[in-house]
Amino acid sequence: MSSNTILSIKNIKKYFPLTGGVFRRVVGKVHAVDDVSFDINRGETIGIVGESGCGKTTLGRTILRLLEPTEGTIEFDGQDITNLRGGDLRAVRKNMQIVFQDPMASLNPRITIKNSVGEPLVVNGIARGPKMRDMVLKLLSKVGLTEAHLNRFPHEFSGGQRQRICIARALALNPKFIVMDEPTSSTDVSVQAQTLNLMKDLQQDLNLTYLFISHDLSVVKHMSDRIAVMYLGKIVELTPSDIFRSALHPYTFALVSAVPIPDPRFAGKAQILSGEVPSPINPPVGCRFHPRCAFAEEKCWKEEPELRDTGDGHLVACHYAGELDFGSSAQLDYAQAVGKQDAQT
Amino acid sequence: MADSDERVLEVKGLVTNFYTYEGTVLALDGVDLFLRRGDTMGVVGETGCGKSVTARSILRLVEPPGRIEEGEILFRQIDPESGEIETVDLLKLSAEEILKTRGGKIAIVFQDPATYPNPVFRIGDQIAEVVLLHQDLSSDVIEMKIEELQDKLTQDVPAEKRSQIEEKIDYYSLMLQEPPPPDDKDAKKAALRRATQMLEMVRMPAPATIATQYPHELSGGMRQRALIAMALACNPAILICDEATTALDVTVQAQVLNLLNQLKKEIGTSIMIITHDMGVVAETCNWVNVMYAGTTVESCATEELFATPLHPYTAGLLTAVPKLHETKDRLPQILGTVPNLITPPTGCRFHPRCEYATSICKTEKPKLEELRPGHWVACFNPLE
Repeated sequence: MSSNTILSIKNIKKYFPLTGGVFRRVVGKVHAVDDVSFDINRGETIGIVGESGCGKTTLGRTILRLLEPTEGTIEFDGQDITNLRGGDLRAVRKNMQIVFQDPMASLNPRITIKNSVGEPLVVNGIARGPKMRDMVLKLLSKVGLTEAHLNRFPHEFSGGQRQRICIARALALNPKFIVMDEPTSSTDVSVQAQTLNLMKDLQQDLNLTYLFISHDLSVVKHMSDRIAVMYLGKIVELTPSDIFRSALHPYTFALVSAVPIPDPRFAGKAQILSGEVPSPINPPVGCRFHPRCAFAEEKCWKEEPELRDTGDGHLVACHYAGELDFGSSAQLDYAQAVGKQDAQT
Repeated sequence: MADSDERVLEVKGLVTNFYTYEGTVLALDGVDLFLRRGDTMGVVGETGCGKSVTARSILRLVEPPGRIEEGEILFRQIDPESGEIETVDLLKLSAEEILKTRGGKIAIVFQDPATYPNPVFRIGDQIAEVVLLHQDLSSDVIEMKIEELQDKLTQDVPAEKRSQIEEKIDYYSLMLQEPPPPDDKDAKKAALRRATQMLEMVRMPAPATIATQYPHELSGGMRQRALIAMALACNPAILICDEATTALDVTVQAQVLNLLNQLKKEIGTSIMIITHDMGVVAETCNWVNVMYAGTTVESCATEELFATPLHPYTAGLLTAVPKLHETKDRLPQILGTVPNLITPPTGCRFHPRCEYATSICKTEKPKLEELRPGHWVACFNPLE
């Protein structure tokens, strides 16, 4: 592990037991996260995309030890935190925070913003009383809120402001690493732009590392330096940010193609993936994507492909990566058309 | 045909308020929009701009404390016999008449496929219920009987019986010209048959099996397709999709949007799509209405809107979304937040967030005007 790596996870698995019958016996397992490994470098943003149920949120929570991993190791800042307990774990947790999807659900409705944002400071014995108030005020000003907001309750804020309060709270302990779990999926586009800009500014100012989880490909692409695409608990592709031009896995390509193009001239040209995500209780054998894959061959349902490096840190889990011809893509045509237009003007 | 004749639905100056304890929420403040026959029209805007309230007002589904205060909702139907166009104001219909329109002539698909099909009834029965309520099934029943007899003929039957069956088929075929009203049992059977046909039309695999299943046995995408089948079961003149794909994953959303596009071609229903996603609009609609804080701010053809938006809000909305093919450091943002509609801003409701606002914007409400042919904008300082 080089000194530039802040977090390194190896073969993380998280299975949830399924119980049934009178004696609540374990009758099966949900393979939520199945053998995921990667490193995160200091100051970078790694994005995780995938459809609902692919395990992206579970992965984010497992990394923070909010969920116990079934198997695997998590190293944070050179320290193995997989089995830490009590005070040791609390000490590490100061450096890693999370911002959840629904800000209304993650703020206590009966506690003022001052106390919500200040709680981490009190719990960790950093500040209380007037000193805490000053620190909270500084945090709020970082996210664009003022003194007038200090003594208000969550219901008095709009969705975007609430999400900023959550971000301020996550920043309270000067963390090095923050997991952003769908931070903008419940906000409107105009507010989403504000929140995304704020997160980028904070990252530069405070030298933060983000794990950015979202189902929205365009948002992840905008925010991330590298993107991991997950499908049924596994990473199928990990690419440098230009997911859009350099997709090698058929699933990534399908995901990119399914994003509606914001230009009516290209309407109805998207390639459409048939079927839906299978159940993670009994994932398909071999390559998990093979039942929906247009290029699947015998090897795909017999052997599970490994995540391999195709050069420049671009990892793909597909037997035929690089050999497949995805054909033309409406997305690429659109990008070219826009590029030409921009060149003209 | 006159310009207005091709507008199957026209909303004029619609005002809907909600009387809550905190005050009166002025949810819709004079909404104007129209849907042309055979078009797919999009209504876009952010949360709380009144998109869903508009849809509910059209169907008169606004419940207390909400009330429709003013305006006209004109629905123009073609009379199947005379071919003439009949105009009704949906707001003036009696409760009984609106029940016939709702589901029969104007149908709606709601946002959340997990809550809308009734969990304790089979999918097929739920679709059949709509059909039974709104449709005349007499010819369906006869057709079904003929089909049953023809099925029998394909099996091994003695020659003597065969001629009997053939005679019966001839008899029923004659009845087809003037079918008698069916009895309840036959009607139910025919309705179920229609339900299965509808499920087949929305490209469900094994429609007969799906019809006997309960909603929880289906995935989100399948449920949404079942809801679309239910909405289309009575061949409505207008289909309203209220955020119909928002809860779905992108790959499934692409499937559903594609299905809507195909169905429109097949059955010629006019569709109104309510969404917050400009991508969905570009993908499916040929006309767009942009709404902000309870008013229509811009209305034009989709291509025109994307090429030359005239209202500052529309322009802001289009640039604020990150795009897949671009690499930008910062996103252009619209400052501020959506206003509280209990105390909306005076004049143009967008003025506190608008960079181009002048003094007139604060005092007077701009009217929706046709600035260019086929391009309506409500703004004193439109972009050029």
